[in-house]
Amino acid sequence: MISDRPRVGVVKLASCDGCQLTLLDLEDELLPIVGRFDLIEFPEATSLRSAGPYDVLLVEGAVSTPEQAEEIVHLRARSRLLVSIGACATAGGIQALRNWTDEPDWRASVYPEAGWIESLATATPVSEYVPVDAELRGCPIAPGQLLELLTALRIGRRPQLPAESVCLACKRRGNECVLVARGIPCLGPVTVAGCGALCPTFGRGCYACFGPREEANVASLHGWLAADRSTQEVDRLFAGFTAWSPPFREPAARAVAVAETHHPRKDDPDA
Amino acid sequence: MHEVEAAPEAVTEVGDVTRFAVKQLTRVEGEGRLDLAVRDGVVTQAHLEIFEAPRYFERIVVGRTPDEVIDIVARICGICPVAYQMSAVHAFEDLFGVAVDPQIRALRRLFYCGEWIESHALHVYLLHAPDFLGYPSAIELAADHGPIVERGLRLKKVGNDLVALLGGRPIHPISVRVGGFSRVPKAAELEPMRARLAGALVEAIETVRWVATLEPPPYARVPRLVSLVHPTEYPMNDGRITSSDGIAVAPSAWTDAFEEQQVPWSNALQARARDGVPYLLGPTARVVLGGSTLHPEAAAALAETGLGDELQNNVFRSIVARGVELVHAIAEAIDIIDAYRRPVEPKVAWEARPGVAAWATEAPRGLLFHRYEVDEAGLVSRAQIVPPTSQNQRAIEHDLATFAPSVLELPHEEATHRLEQLIRSYDPCISCATHFLELKVDER
Amino acid sequence: MVTDAGFLPRADLDRLIGLLREGGRTVIGPTLDDGALVYAEIGSADDLPTGWTDDAAPGRYRLVRDEGQRTFGLGPPPQGLKRFTFPSRAPLAVAERTAEGAVTFTAAVPDPPRLAFLGVRPCEVAALLVQDRVLAGGPFVDEDYRARRQASLVVAVACTRSGSTCFCASMGTGPEVTAGHDLAMTELDDGFVVSAGSRAGEQLLARLALPAVTPDQHATATAAVAGARAAQGRQVVTTGLRDRLMDQLDHPRWAEVAERCLACANCTMVCPTCFCTSTALDSDLDGAATRMERRWDSCFTGDFARVAGGNFRPRRQDRYRQWLTHKFATWVDQFDTFGCVGCGRCITWCPVGIDVREELAAIAPPYEELPTATPVVAGSTSAYSTAVVRSVTPETADTSTLALVPGDDALLAARPGQFVMVEQPGFPPLPISVSRVADGALWLTIRAAGPATTATIALRPGAQLGLRGPLGRGWDIQRAVGRDVVIVAGGIGLAPVRPIIDTVLRDREKFRHVILAYGARTPADRLYVDEMADWADRGMVVTEIVDRAGPEWLGRVGIVTHLLDQRDFHDRPATAFVVGPERMMEATVATLAERGVPRERIFVSLERHMQCGIGLCGHCQMGPFFICRDGPCFAVSELGDLFGREGI
Repeated sequence: MISDRPRVGVVKLASCDGCQLTLLDLEDELLPIVGRFDLIEFPEATSLRSAGPYDVLLVEGAVSTPEQAEEIVHLRARSRLLVSIGACATAGGIQALRNWTDEPDWRASVYPEAGWIESLATATPVSEYVPVDAELRGCPIAPGQLLELLTALRIGRRPQLPAESVCLACKRRGNECVLVARGIPCLGPVTVAGCGALCPTFGRGCYACFGPREEANVASLHGWLAADRSTQEVDRLFAGFTAWSPPFREPAARAVAVAETHHPRKDDPDA
Repeated sequence: MHEVEAAPEAVTEVGDVTRFAVKQLTRVEGEGRLDLAVRDGVVTQAHLEIFEAPRYFERIVVGRTPDEVIDIVARICGICPVAYQMSAVHAFEDLFGVAVDPQIRALRRLFYCGEWIESHALHVYLLHAPDFLGYPSAIELAADHGPIVERGLRLKKVGNDLVALLGGRPIHPISVRVGGFSRVPKAAELEPMRARLAGALVEAIETVRWVATLEPPPYARVPRLVSLVHPTEYPMNDGRITSSDGIAVAPSAWTDAFEEQQVPWSNALQARARDGVPYLLGPTARVVLGGSTLHPEAAAALAETGLGDELQNNVFRSIVARGVELVHAIAEAIDIIDAYRRPVEPKVAWEARPGVAAWATEAPRGLLFHRYEVDEAGLVSRAQIVPPTSQNQRAIEHDLATFAPSVLELPHEEATHRLEQLIRSYDPCISCATHFLELKVDER
Repeated sequence: MVTDAGFLPRADLDRLIGLLREGGRTVIGPTLDDGALVYAEIGSADDLPTGWTDDAAPGRYRLVRDEGQRTFGLGPPPQGLKRFTFPSRAPLAVAERTAEGAVTFTAAVPDPPRLAFLGVRPCEVAALLVQDRVLAGGPFVDEDYRARRQASLVVAVACTRSGSTCFCASMGTGPEVTAGHDLAMTELDDGFVVSAGSRAGEQLLARLALPAVTPDQHATATAAVAGARAAQGRQVVTTGLRDRLMDQLDHPRWAEVAERCLACANCTMVCPTCFCTSTALDSDLDGAATRMERRWDSCFTGDFARVAGGNFRPRRQDRYRQWLTHKFATWVDQFDTFGCVGCGRCITWCPVGIDVREELAAIAPPYEELPTATPVVAGSTSAYSTAVVRSVTPETADTSTLALVPGDDALLAARPGQFVMVEQPGFPPLPISVSRVADGALWLTIRAAGPATTATIALRPGAQLGLRGPLGRGWDIQRAVGRDVVIVAGGIGLAPVRPIIDTVLRDREKFRHVILAYGARTPADRLYVDEMADWADRGMVVTEIVDRAGPEWLGRVGIVTHLLDQRDFHDRPATAFVVGPERMMEATVATLAERGVPRERIFVSLERHMQCGIGLCGHCQMGPFFICRDGPCFAVSELGDLFGREGI
C-alpha cells in the first residue's frame, strides 16, 4: 500500500478521453473509490486542480505535440507511480499511423492553414519519453483492469493483468473460433487478453485493440491469413489502434505505404 | 495544460482592458480554454480555443474499408463513439444502396438511445449540475447530495449497459457493420434490460423535475436552432437537416447549407452556415424542432416543467432539454425492445460502389456530419467529419460575447465561473472537435 | 464389448429424453446456436442437429448439410463436455480479513447440476475417464469435479463416420464405445442400437422396454463402426511413444514448429483432457474480502511458468514441447494413460492448422520394427544354415573381412549392432558382429585370436560354413536422428560400428555433426583404412590416434579419449556409440558424460562369452541381462552400476 489515501491524478495527452472516462464508468465503484483515493487532478471530472505531487498518475493519450513532450517529463517528475492507460498511451494509438508518413502533408490535408497547428511528426507511447511503472492496455482500457489496478494499489499486490492471448478468454466464454469456423480474420492469437474476447463473441475478428501479447507470432498468423486473401488486406489488420507496437510495425508500415501511394493528398478538403 | 503554477482562472487588468482567461476548461471532454477581452464594458474578443492535440482522423481513414472506418472514427470521441459509428454506417449504406432489415434499423436506434442515456446522465449529473449547486465536481456534490449523484450514476450505468449489450462495451463498441451488426441479441437477452429501463424511466422523469428547479443565470437570446427533423421519429438517425429559420436539406447534403473554416486560435475547424449566422445544435434544438415527435412520456415531463420559450432562449436551461431527452431515450428504448423480433441474419450482404457517402445523425451534443469519397476499390479516398462542437463553437463564442457584459460587475472569480458554466451548457466535446475548442477571454 | 440390449426406433428418441429428464435432470446434447455447434440443454429430439454433419480439417471447420438425416451426424463439438464437468471458471473460496486482522477462509461448496449428457462421442467419454484419473483418481481430488461427475449420466453414441482430423482409433478410444458410459448407442437409418454400460443404464433400458436387436441391425451397426475405423487408419503409432518422445527433447523440429505455433492456447482450451488452471483473485477495494476463483489456464501462456526470477518456459518452442510431451509421454508416467484421446480438436481448432499427428511423426517417428529377441532362423541353438564365402579381404596382418552369402535370406535382415553365430564344423561356434550388409552378403570382420578364428579367416572363396542369426539387440540409431553423432571405436571395435557409419552416411541429412574417433594399437592395426577418406568426403569428421607409432606416422599418438578433448556437447545434443576394450569404453563414457552427453544416449556394445546367442545357455549373463539376448548393445544408463565393474 503506497499510502492510506493515495493522491491520484488523471491527465490526458492526444486521445479521445475514453480511457479516463472508464473511471467514471465504474458507476458502482466510483463513490467508494473517491472515498479511498484523493482525485486531486482530473480536469474532465472536477474543477479542483493540482499540479501534484501525485502518488499515482494515470496518463491517457499519446505524446504528439512539442508541448506534450515537455509536459510528460514534468508529470513524471511529480509522480511516484506513473501508469499509462490505453492504446494511445501504451502504443501510440490510431494516430501513430502518421509515424510512417510525412506529417506536414497529413496536417495540410486536414487543415487549410497547416502553419497554425503545432504537432510532432510522431504520436508515440509515453514510455518512449519517460519510464512507466505500469500499463493498462486497450482501446479503451477494460474497466475491470482499472479497478484491479486501483485495488492492487490499495492492497499492495501486483495487479493481475494476464499475459495470455485473447483466445483463452474466448474459449473460456465457450465461443467457437471465428477464424477456423467462419474464415473471419482474427488477431486474437497474437493479441493480449483483457477485453474478454468481445469481438469474437460478437461474431467478428479481434482487431488487436489491446495490442500484441508476449511471444506474438505475427509472421505465422500473417502468412496463414494471407493464404486466403491479399497481403494488403492482412497488412491493414495490423494497421490499427496498436500499429506502432513493435511486433505489428512491419505489416502496419506496409499498409500505410500502400494507402499513401494509392491516395496521395488532395488539396482543398472542403471541395 | 496540467501546469497550474498560476491559478487556472486568471483575470488580468492592463490599462482599461480586462482579460478573462481559463487556462483549461474542466468538466468538459477534451482540452480547450477561454480567452475573453473586454474594453469599456464591451466584449472585443471571445475565443473558445482548442488546444487538444490534432489527430488527423480525416487522413487516417484514407485507404481503409467502410467497416474499418466505422471502427476508426469511433475513436474520435470516447463519450459518443456510437454517434460516429452511426453517421458513418448510414453514409456508407446510403451510397451503397443497402436496405437493412427494419429490426436492424430499430436496433440502431436502441443502440443510439443507450449512448444518449449515458452521455446525458454523465453531463447532467457529473459535469453540469455542480455548476448550479456550487460544487467543483460531483464528488463534492455527492458528499452533500448522495442520493442524487447515485441516481445519476444508475442512469448512466443503464445507458452504458445498453450500449454494451448491443455493442460489447460502452466505449468504442464493436458490433456495428455496414449492412447491420456483427451480432444481434436474442429477444431474451433484452428482457433484463427492459426491466431496468422501466426503473430508469421513473428516475429520468425525476431528473427532469430536479433539473427544472436548478436556477439558471438570467440570460435570453433567440438562437438559430438546427437539428434533424423527421415526420414521425424523434431526431436521431434520419430526417432532414432543418433550422428554426427555414434551412431544410437532406441528411447527406449538409455541405449545401454549411461549411467549415479554420481559425488561428483553434486546432478545430469551425463550421458555420453559409449565410454566416451562428447556430445551436443539441438537445435544446431537438426538443424544440422535433418536439412533436417526443415520446409522450418525455413530452409530459417537458410540459410539467412549465418552461416555454425560456428553454431555447436561455442556454443554461439546456440541462432541462437534456433531461427531457433522457426520458425520451429510455422510453423509446423500452418501445423498441417490446417490438423486437430478432432478424434472421445480423447483417445483409452489400457491395461497395464508388461515389460520395454522406450522412448526418444526432450525436448527444448535436448534429454530426460525415462525408466520404469511396473509390473503385471500395476504399475511402477522402473524408470530412464535422462534429457538433465545431458547429456550436461559433454559437458559443457569440453567446460569450453576448452574456459576458452581464457578469462583468460580479467578482472576477464568479464571473469566470459563469462564463465556464455557459460553455458547459453546450456539453462541448473537444476531442471530437479537433477539430475543436479553448476559451480565452481578452477583455479589451 | 457390451452386448446389444435393444433397438430404439428413431421416433422413440423423445421417450429416452423424457426418461433422462425425470427428477429434474437437465439433458445436455449437441445443438446449433447461431450456426455454431455447442453442447446445450435439450428439451426434445427437435433440438438436436438432425441433418447436419461437419467438414473438419487442420485449421478449418464448416458445418454442412447431410443428406443422411442423422441425428448425431456431427463429430465432436468445438468444445467438449469439459464445460460442464470442469467449468472454465469455478469459485474456490472467499478469504476475508477483518479490521482487527482476523482472517477466515470459506471454501466453496460444490453444488453440481444434475445433468445427462446425450449424444456423446466415444473420444469424449474417454476424455471423461482421463479427467477422472487426473482430477479424482489420485490421493488429492478436485471436489467440484467429482461432484459434477457423480451427478451426471452419459449417453454415448458410437461414430459411424470419421472426420479428417479424427484419430481415436490410434489412441484406442473409438470409434466404438467401450467404457465410461451409462448407455451407448449406434445410430442406424431408422433408429439406434442401444446397450447399457452401468447399473443406471440398465435401469433406463429396462424402463424403455425396447425390442431386441435383430441380427441385421447388429451387423449393420458393427459394419458402420468398422467403416469409421477403417477410414481413419492408424495415424499415430503409440508403440514406445513415451520413450520416443522423451528421447527427442532436443529435436530441431521443436524450433521449427514454434515458427508456426502461435502459442495462442486454443489447442489446450479445446482439449477435453487439459486440466491446467490458475487461481484468479477478485478483491474488494480494501482487500477485506477476496474471492478466489479457479480458471482454465494453459501451458502456452506467458505467465504459466513464470516466477519472480523469470520464466521457465520463455519461448514458444519450450511451451509447445511441454504440451506435446505432456500429452503423449509424461502423462503416461503420471496417470498411466495418454493425455490424448484422438478427438482431433487441437488439429481442427489450431488457427494455423498445426497437426499433432504430423509433429509426432516428425519428432518421434515410430521405431523401425526391430527383431526383438530371436528371429525364426535362430529359433534354436541348432538352427544353422549354410553360407558360402564370396570373398576374403585382409584388413591387417591378423584380421580379415569375409563376405558370406547366406543360404537363408533372413540373415540379410541383420541390423546394425547385431551378431551372428559362425560355425565351422569341428570348431566351437563364434559370435561375430556383423560389420556390413551389402550386395546380398553378410560381411564379418574377424581377427585371428584363436584356432577357430584363424581357421575361419583362412577360408577361400567358395568355401562353406554355418551361420545362425541375426542375434541380439542392435544399436538404437533412431535416437541419434537430428543430433550430433559421436562414434568412438578401439581396434577391432570399429567392425560393429561400421553399420552405424553406413546408415548415417546413407541418410546423412537426418543427422547433424558426425564424428568418428578411432584408436588402434599401431598404424598397421587400423581397419578399413581405404574407406576412411570416402567417409570424410561424405560428411563425417574422421579422427584417428594410435598407442604407439614409428616415424612414418604423422598422426596423433595417445589414447582414444584424447580425440574428444576439443569437443563439448553441453549445448549440442549428441548421441554416442562406443565399442572397444572394456577399459577403453569406460574411459570414453566418462569423458563423454563429462562433455555433456547424457548416459541415456551413450551406447556401448558389450563382449561376453556367448555360446547359444539366445539367452538359454547362461554363459553371458551380467546382472539382470543375458548379453546375447538383451544386448549386446546397451545404453550406459541401462547398465547402472554394472558398467565397468570387475568380476560381474
